[in-house]
Amino acid sequence: MALLNRRIGLSLTHLNSAVIQRQFSITGACQAIQKLTRVRVVDNSTLGNTPYHRPPKCIHVYNKTGVGKVGDKILLAIKGEKKKALIVGHKMPGPTMTPKFDSNNVVLIEDNGNPIGTRIRTPIPYTLRRREGEFSKVLAIARNFV
Amino acid sequence: MAERRAGRGGARAGMWRALAAARPLLRPLGAVAGGAPRAEPPLPRVLPLLRVLPLLRAPPRRGCAATGGGGGPGALGAAERCQPADTVLPEFNIDLVVALLRQENAKDICVIQLSPELKYCDYFIIVSGFSTRHLHAMANYMLKMYKHLKEEGCPHTQIEGKQTDDWLCIDFGSIVVHFMLPETREVYELEKLWTLGPYDDQLAQMTPQSLPKDFILGLTPNSSDHLETRT
Repeated sequence: MALLNRRIGLSLTHLNSAVIQRQFSITGACQAIQKLTRVRVVDNSTLGNTPYHRPPKCIHVYNKTGVGKVGDKILLAIKGEKKKALIVGHKMPGPTMTPKFDSNNVVLIEDNGNPIGTRIRTPIPYTLRRREGEFSKVLAIARNFV
Repeated sequence: MAERRAGRGGARAGMWRALAAARPLLRPLGAVAGGAPRAEPPLPRVLPLLRVLPLLRAPPRRGCAATGGGGGPGALGAAERCQPADTVLPEFNIDLVVALLRQENAKDICVIQLSPELKYCDYFIIVSGFSTRHLHAMANYMLKMYKHLKEEGCPHTQIEGKQTDDWLCIDFGSIVVHFMLPETREVYELEKLWTLGPYDDQLAQMTPQSLPKDFILGLTPNSSDHLETRT
């Protein structure tokens, strides 16, 4: 697994994987999740967890603006097929007192809203409960909340 | 037309007599109401309330037994009058929800009381139904009762999963109710997740998530190799 580091002098003793150091700058997250964003599927569905040579990418955001925040539905291209998914965390800082994640997390759902996986290991933001939308099913299969 | 009106009046009179006798009617009420077009407005409001009040005279419930028991016989004796809903609205709590589910012939009612540190809800209810229509009917009835009994409470309550045919869900703030078909229940095993917690077998079977190849760690001195959230 390749990790890119900006500064050479960073202490890497706590990392136990091989590290390749490169010297170019990386911008942070600009918009949250939009078209062609690579996302990370966090549930235990087979579709999300079988390795493929291309990462799952967002190809459409079901939103007036094309930017998806926590709780928006998006369309993913995974393993050559299209699947809907729900955003449960993104790298962009949100409103104050809302969690910010280190990866753009996504949970696969079907067209009718049922989650495809049965468990979610990563923390799910609790703000989903206040939002208008069908999130109780995703909250029901989640393990811990943030 | 005269005999139709008489027939409808006769059915209604029969219904009132049955209600006054304090027998909870399940399907006959629904059949009559669904078949003949109901013209009078008070009937839909009175109907669910009078289905509930007989239940309150059943084995004692904590909290609302006093008001329910006192109001029950008085309400049913005065079934001919308009609804007695001013003083005797039962509180929409867990006992009422379970009573309604039992009345609706729900299969395998599972009520899990969650600890407060989970911060999700107080009670988590999972209920099975016999068919898709049964699930929809139960969910609609529950929502109707909630709207009837809760004036100032949580404003946004909707049935989630209306497009599905095997899993519906209603979030009442402190109570969450899931209506599923038995096959769906087997697949998700929500009871195991919420009772066992970290010892759930499906969670253990999930392989520890490895980060994708192009993952770039947030570069802070205290970031570690597994995922952490920052609040």
